Amino acid sequence: MDLKGRFARYSEFGFYLNCMLPFRIEKIYLDEKAEKDWVTQSLLRSLPGVPVERVEDKRNLIKQSLHIADPIGMGKRNLLVTHFYGRRLKPCPGTSRHICCGYHVINAVTNCTMDCSYCVLQGYLNNPFLTFYSNWDDLLREIEDFLSMKRNPLSRLGTGELSDSLALESIFPVSQFLIPFFAGRENGLLELKTKSAMVDPILHLDHRGKTIVSWSLNPPGVIREEERNTASLEERIGAAEQCQRKGYPLGFHFDPMFDYPGWEEGYREVVQSIFERIDPKGVIWISLGGFRYPPKLRAIAKDRFPDTRIFSGELFPGRDGKFRYLKEIRTEMYRKMVEWLREVDSGLFIYLCMESREVWEDAFGWAPENSSHLNYLFEERVKRFL
Amino acid sequence: MKYEQLEGGGSLCLRIETKNGEETKPQVGEKSFASSLPPQTSNVTTGMADMKMIQEIPLHQIDLLDETFSVNFMPDLRSLRSSIREIGLIQPVLLRKRKGAFQIICGFRRISILRELGNDKLPAMVFEERERDDLHLFIVCLHENMMARGFHAVEKAIALEKLIDYFDVDRSVIIQSYLPLFSLEPNEKILSTYLSLARMEEDTRRYVLREEVSRSNIRILSALAPDDRIALIPFLSSLKLGENRLREVLTILDEICRRDRVGLKEMIHRTEIQAILSREELTPVQKTERLKRVLMDLRYPKMKTLEEGFEKMRKALHLPAGVSLNHSPYFEGRELEIDFQFQSMEEYRSFVSSLSSLADKKEFEEMIQGSRIRSTKFEIRNNLK
Repeated sequence: MDLKGRFARYSEFGFYLNCMLPFRIEKIYLDEKAEKDWVTQSLLRSLPGVPVERVEDKRNLIKQSLHIADPIGMGKRNLLVTHFYGRRLKPCPGTSRHICCGYHVINAVTNCTMDCSYCVLQGYLNNPFLTFYSNWDDLLREIEDFLSMKRNPLSRLGTGELSDSLALESIFPVSQFLIPFFAGRENGLLELKTKSAMVDPILHLDHRGKTIVSWSLNPPGVIREEERNTASLEERIGAAEQCQRKGYPLGFHFDPMFDYPGWEEGYREVVQSIFERIDPKGVIWISLGGFRYPPKLRAIAKDRFPDTRIFSGELFPGRDGKFRYLKEIRTEMYRKMVEWLREVDSGLFIYLCMESREVWEDAFGWAPENSSHLNYLFEERVKRFL
Repeated sequence: MKYEQLEGGGSLCLRIETKNGEETKPQVGEKSFASSLPPQTSNVTTGMADMKMIQEIPLHQIDLLDETFSVNFMPDLRSLRSSIREIGLIQPVLLRKRKGAFQIICGFRRISILRELGNDKLPAMVFEERERDDLHLFIVCLHENMMARGFHAVEKAIALEKLIDYFDVDRSVIIQSYLPLFSLEPNEKILSTYLSLARMEEDTRRYVLREEVSRSNIRILSALAPDDRIALIPFLSSLKLGENRLREVLTILDEICRRDRVGLKEMIHRTEIQAILSREELTPVQKTERLKRVLMDLRYPKMKTLEEGFEKMRKALHLPAGVSLNHSPYFEGRELEIDFQFQSMEEYRSFVSSLSSLADKKEFEEMIQGSRIRSTKFEIRNNLK
């Protein structure tokens, strides 16, 4: 079935699925330029009853929205359908003077209905609306062109940087398009990163091992207090278990990790909970990353979440200007996590996200030479795993 | 424009002139302000077109307990008092007939001073009981005060709260039309800040006014429980805190309380904090400095341990005077930095000689190897390699 047919079939069920979600779309702002796209038409059919306002100038809409009390909160309930001009497939920006993994980011959707107090998007996006870009054919062509250039033996691409990869699947079946698309690509690997448990729509797909479904995890207390509108830990692990049964390689991201009284017990229990239900041999990678934030996030997050405790740790400005836990704290967290994970399976592939060479060495006793070296290690890991 | 008293029929009337001398209908405010008023206040300018006769009203007939239209908070009456003493009342007060007495619309301070000075009557312009609705009169009061003296932060807060709670004006109208009146940016956050100030305890509001606390610090104070604020104000008042230092102290206290899940009251009653506050020989500035050190140590205990450990090792090196040895910012890197300045070759040779002897010192080697030693202690084989 082609994309249009798949979307049309899907739209019939969209409304019912939408009713089951922990969020509601209150209004759709439809950019006139996107009005005639087949993706837009299918999208509107999947959200019957949601008021639609046609927008001539989206810049004006965005500008006006920034004057209300909580534009970020408003943006999560209001959908803007528009075109994306420019490149939608970009190298992960990473962070300067740290080792990064060479991931590529697909911008299919920006923003998210989940509301994590630590979310960097709160200070990063200049458009607060949940935004769906309807020029889908352009995106798929761009991915196709990128992979056909074969710049790397294996490229890792993901949709979970500027949104959650699965939370919106009932409204935008993005992953349902991308999974079959990547199944046929030799040198491309898709990673879906999520905090949801919305895996039903993807379980039946023929992924051929070319899509990794991964979950960002935290102890239940942190999820409850800091990750609003997300699935519980139990639900996330349950969803991972379902995906593993269907042969999907899994990934887990302990990122961001928080330092709080009792963190050791909290994270150790998460590790135990995962591997009570998940076979570690089916886990392709696990990342660790301490909570870090750009300076401007603090005021925004404190304003939106007055009760948040995320800034209570010993956080100081790092070499890239972002605040991080004291190095001693980070390395201690990483060492312990590595120890607990190795107890489960000594063969687990564990890496650090946006960390310095010193921290790698302190945590593991060695470090990748640079970001390219880490990328190479990923390629080797995938070869061995698949 | 100017006010002038005219004789006529045994009473006084009010005439308002524009700058070019042309007589015009009385206005209650500048054009830019009036034009910004919302629909529910749009009749203010036309309403005031009717001149009010100035009447002599006995003070005892004025209901001094009715503060419906008052936004006063800690009024400074000194200059007004000396002015009235010297030349008398220039501008008549505004009153409304109400239940056989007179309700004060505008002029609470003037009436208070006239009473204090022993006057038994005063010139006033009087509205009939049902002539105008309450909101209209409140707006008149706001305009008159704004033109005459302006409002401080707490008075703005009280006025905005009255508009919402008593006069039932819609929040969006207040944001768009009234916040600009008070020279405030028209947004919800500003309105919420002022409303939270209006609802704070009297002592907190006094502190905000006295110390000219900024809006961002008002927001921090407003996030606290009333009991915590009540405990906090005497504590803050005993210190010398500028704007940034106040924010720093409030933020650190808040973050320690959140981390340790303790109440603010409990926190400021800690022995080490009370020990500083109780030392009467210390000035507020000295108390503030010492308190900041204590709070920083409580807030960043691991950093404190690292700093102390580094300092201990640094002292053990017995570095010559003029040489400083520093760790990387926040201990993020492993690098050490030695800094010295010299003016002569002799001085330079002396420094270099002292520094080269550092290589023989065990403590110096430990400082350099410190983090590497720690990492090998926990060395873990990683399959990535």
